Amino acid sequence: MPNTLSRRDFLKVGGAALGALTVSRFVPPRVVAAARTAGLLDQNGDGYIPTMCEMCVWRCGVLAKVEEGRVVKLEGNPDHPNSKGKLCARGQSGLMNTYDPDRVLTPLIRVGQRGEGKFRKASWDEALDVVAANMLKIKEQYGAQAMIFSSTHNLSQVQFENLLYAFGSPNYGTQRSLCFNAMVTAFSLTYGIEEPSRDYTSVKYILLTGRNLLEAISTSETSDLMDAVARGAKLVVLDPRFTKTASKATEWLPIRPGTDLAFILAMINVIVTEKLGDCEFTARYAVGCDKLPAHIAFYTPEWAAKKTGIEADTIRRIAREFAAAMPDALAHPGWRTSNFINSFQTERAIATLNAIVGNVLTPGGCLNAENPEASGITLGKPSQPPYPRLSSLRLDGVPWKYPLVPLKLGVFQELRDAVLTGQPYQAHGWFIARQNPVLSLPDRQKTLEAFGKMDFIVTVDIIMNDSAWFSDVVLPEASYLERYDPLLPVSGKVFIRQPVIEPQGEAQSALWIYKQLGERLGLGDFFQYQDEEDYIRQQLAPLGNYSLEELRLHGYVEPPAKEKSQEITFNTPSGKVEVYSETLANAGYPALPTWEEPPSPNADQFYLLTGKVGQHTQMGTQNNQLLHKYEDYPRLWMNPEAADKLGLKDWELVEVTSEVGSVKVPVQVTPAIRADCVYLTPGYGHLSKGLRTAYGDGVSDSVLHVTYVDPVSGGQALSQTFVTVKKA
Amino acid sequence: MADKKRYGFVIDISRCIDCRACQVACSLENSVPLNHTRIWIHDQGVQGTFPKLSRTFVPYNCMHCEHPPCIEVCVSGATYKDPNNGLVLVDQEACIGCGFCVEACPYDARYLDEKLGVVDKCNGCIQRVEIGQKPACVATCLGGSRLFGDLNDPASDVSIALKNAKSLFRLDIEGKDIDTDPNIYFINAPQSLTSLVTSDAFKQQGQAVPREPKYTISEEGWKKVLVPAIAAGIGASFLVQATYFTKQLIEGEKEFDE
Amino acid sequence: MSKPRMGSYKNISIVERRRLREKKYKKHNLANILTHWFNVGMWALLLPTGIAIISSPRLGLSPVWMQELFRNMFGGAANLIKFHYTIGFLWIFVLLFNVLLGFRKYFVPFAISRMLLDKDDIQWLKTKPLQMLGLMKDKTLPPQDAYNAGQKLYMYVVILGTLGIMVSGPVMALKTLFPPIVKQIAQPLHWVSVFAIVAGVIIHVYMGAIFPEEKEAFFSMFGGKVSAWYARAHHEKWYWEKVQEEMDWEEEVAREIESAAGADPQPAPAKSGD
Repeated sequence: MPNTLSRRDFLKVGGAALGALTVSRFVPPRVVAAARTAGLLDQNGDGYIPTMCEMCVWRCGVLAKVEEGRVVKLEGNPDHPNSKGKLCARGQSGLMNTYDPDRVLTPLIRVGQRGEGKFRKASWDEALDVVAANMLKIKEQYGAQAMIFSSTHNLSQVQFENLLYAFGSPNYGTQRSLCFNAMVTAFSLTYGIEEPSRDYTSVKYILLTGRNLLEAISTSETSDLMDAVARGAKLVVLDPRFTKTASKATEWLPIRPGTDLAFILAMINVIVTEKLGDCEFTARYAVGCDKLPAHIAFYTPEWAAKKTGIEADTIRRIAREFAAAMPDALAHPGWRTSNFINSFQTERAIATLNAIVGNVLTPGGCLNAENPEASGITLGKPSQPPYPRLSSLRLDGVPWKYPLVPLKLGVFQELRDAVLTGQPYQAHGWFIARQNPVLSLPDRQKTLEAFGKMDFIVTVDIIMNDSAWFSDVVLPEASYLERYDPLLPVSGKVFIRQPVIEPQGEAQSALWIYKQLGERLGLGDFFQYQDEEDYIRQQLAPLGNYSLEELRLHGYVEPPAKEKSQEITFNTPSGKVEVYSETLANAGYPALPTWEEPPSPNADQFYLLTGKVGQHTQMGTQNNQLLHKYEDYPRLWMNPEAADKLGLKDWELVEVTSEVGSVKVPVQVTPAIRADCVYLTPGYGHLSKGLRTAYGDGVSDSVLHVTYVDPVSGGQALSQTFVTVKKA
Repeated sequence: MADKKRYGFVIDISRCIDCRACQVACSLENSVPLNHTRIWIHDQGVQGTFPKLSRTFVPYNCMHCEHPPCIEVCVSGATYKDPNNGLVLVDQEACIGCGFCVEACPYDARYLDEKLGVVDKCNGCIQRVEIGQKPACVATCLGGSRLFGDLNDPASDVSIALKNAKSLFRLDIEGKDIDTDPNIYFINAPQSLTSLVTSDAFKQQGQAVPREPKYTISEEGWKKVLVPAIAAGIGASFLVQATYFTKQLIEGEKEFDE
Repeated sequence: MSKPRMGSYKNISIVERRRLREKKYKKHNLANILTHWFNVGMWALLLPTGIAIISSPRLGLSPVWMQELFRNMFGGAANLIKFHYTIGFLWIFVLLFNVLLGFRKYFVPFAISRMLLDKDDIQWLKTKPLQMLGLMKDKTLPPQDAYNAGQKLYMYVVILGTLGIMVSGPVMALKTLFPPIVKQIAQPLHWVSVFAIVAGVIIHVYMGAIFPEEKEAFFSMFGGKVSAWYARAHHEKWYWEKVQEEMDWEEEVAREIESAAGADPQPAPAKSGD
């Protein structure tokens, strides 16, 4: 596909002389020249350039169709295992992020009050000098730890971490505690792997809990699931909402929020007591299964029925069907699973359920205890001196308050209390890169108050997101179609994100920004690369004799596969699947999956559920005009029974109030939700007037969310907020 | 003409997940203006009572009918059915943007591009198909719901899917002077498709598909009154002249033959 | 010079008739002639292409073979319609240019002197159609101006029709400027205007080019002149106007000579042939 020329292209080649003129006018030479050298573009600057998507964190391979220096279409790269030639709505619309009329194209320095949105344009030199001077001032006055650094999962994050560790601050906020901390911590402790990959090739029975795969889309996995369902695989969905995933399910069980754990425990109970599990597998690869029967005996389907609201017979039947499909049965680990403070235990139970049906790592097994991103490939990196020793406590309480939370995950939402109380010490500066904590953290008011305590805030982003709106300096990053990022190994291949067009305005790549800033902070030794291409060449070096041009032409290189050891080992202390975890026992937590009662709302309250829609990624894409075009207006879902009680009609404006805030939003009366729940699509309600498409669209659930932290995994319990609803 | 192509879509209702990747892909591939779309996903919403619920998505676009009402009304010949592949296409250079076809299409599959002043619609991504690619919507369909190909070719994706289909529906309109004979085949729908797309709620919102094709009163009027009137006028003037001429011939041209 | 009874040309002597035949009156100026033939040429191009464009089977305004023929000839509907646009705009531009350029000098006087209907015209209109049908043969037609009442009436049709075409055509061609409803209304306006003109043009062409009695009218569209006999026979009022003009002129010349003879006798200037 990339090498096929359209008829029009042929015509253009014919008029090459004229074309050359056009190109020289429209396209600055750097990107086009490089792409031509790599054989990707014809004389006229037209062609397909392989790169990688950044509309969510799934990272599909993309073929960007370029015409005269503009991206005109994005296609899924058939060579990439995450896209397999397809892209979701967000991936398709990616170029509208790049061509967003609200792009920040020059560095901006605030001139008005914070939040007024008054900025002046500045040169990179001036802006970087201002940022460096402020950061150094804070370092001198209060120590490096007074600077908070936060960034959301992205390919340049390695250099972001480099910057913060070189600067010497332990305070690192990621989105992970708002997302998959529960899954990652639980599976790390059970399988020794953060996120096991799923294999749908032979699956016959799929149990989805907390995974709305057809709306929270992961391109290849969503496709695989639909193929499996079309093939006749059974799909059971546990969800208080009748999602689009539920609409395709064989069976939808509207479970009471927070009680998935009880359902899974009861399934384990049935499988273990009726001896339906894979004894051979558990005996060989797992520890603690012998302790299960006694531990699990209490969790009968009858017990679970009271908790979950699902009949005992149904639970029993599903457990038996699940075991009968063994080992082609899959209980999905979920993704953004931090719903209740018991989510960690839920994840542990899911891990255990998979283990006892022996679907892990076996041929045709559905769970691969393999990180899809690691693939055993070690990339090179520029040499650098050792980081300064960190002597101060982390403000987010890891590990002194949350001993089991991995350092690189952190507990982001805890930071603000430390900022507001000044305990254990006062933070004074905040460096935000490609993240929007104002909307992503629960309890927006608290985040804004924390912003108010800051002497200096700097944000790196491509548009004026809400956090940038409240910042002192905004640094314009090149969009993912305009820049290089560090390489990413996927399934034995090493993929590149490369610029397909010249950056617009004065936007620059994160690699460039961090290096420039590092040099101004006197940390030049930590950024030993000339430019982005040099960085990637250094990454490529240990893989063999690959040239950057070769990598650019194909979008990936495939180093010879390392021999996989026949022996299956797990990266846990015992080397086996730890159904019984010594680590947990030592830390004072239950060593086996154990029921924890989640809080429940009062009679006049509703569970406030959060979720995903297939057209948006968190709070980052609402300003994309094409996604805005095809989105549904975000309303508050409410069951007709509950709406009747409150006397509410469809589209009527209601006031939703939690203990931290309240919003006014039209109601959507739908039977697709339990009567004790309401649901609000997240990511809306932007504060920044610099987002002309998104501003004024919908309301933010972060206004309502109360901060609850799972003590084991540090995950934010996003569905544990209870709200009252009344006519506005 | 056995080797003539008949391009059409097969849409597997059971596999559409309403992700709208097709709509976005189409918008970009064909530079569809932000206030228009060429693909729709008909969604009746959640049906049934809690917890026995169902929801079905019916994606559609131009049906590339065998007998398209839009062509019937096009005055400039801009809309035509490609004789080689059966796609209903719009030649925008010939289109004057009067919108008669927009009103006539029972599937509301056409829109008027205000900026260009012309009508636009799904063209089966012919620009891609010609060079061996799939249409943008089909290429990126996550659920594998959309298929496109030559319905006359028994080995094509669409023919194979049709052969294996559990159920088959078309949104055909048959009336006294209309039979659209659409080329979108909906397969594996859980129930009658008509009930999914022409519910009372949709009718109230004017969103039921298909609807009765609209032919503007004026247009009907031309056909019934004005055209015969003009024909009669011209005919009469001929008749008068003929009489006059004959009369002259008989009487001779005295004045000029001196 | 006493005027004979209007309309009674049949008793004029053969000698007088010959004299009248020799004598020429200028009926059309060069601008008129050129504009007329330009108009003819444009219509010859616009009418068939226009008919061939109207493709709607539901309207059935034009035969399919014609549509196919023209589309093949021009290489597709787009080229056909573009050709029609181009010629159409050229036609509008030149015609408007001519009319506006000569608006005060030619058009307004023309309209006043030759287009207004008088009592005779009304009478003519009452009689002529019946005569054409073979009735009231004994009744003589009232004398006519340079253009007879039928022609005058048709002039209004042509002017209104032309305006209709000139307005509705660009509305459809400049497709971005108007909302669809305007373009929908423009279509029938365009067709009706064309049909109205065409219905008359058929008579006009027949009378002008084929009908033997009107041969002179046809050739006058090249030379601009008609014989006095023709004028006397068909446009009697105009003929007498011309005669009156001549007489007035002769009188004036005579007066001039008289007054000049008093002071500075000079030979009389040769009589201009107009």
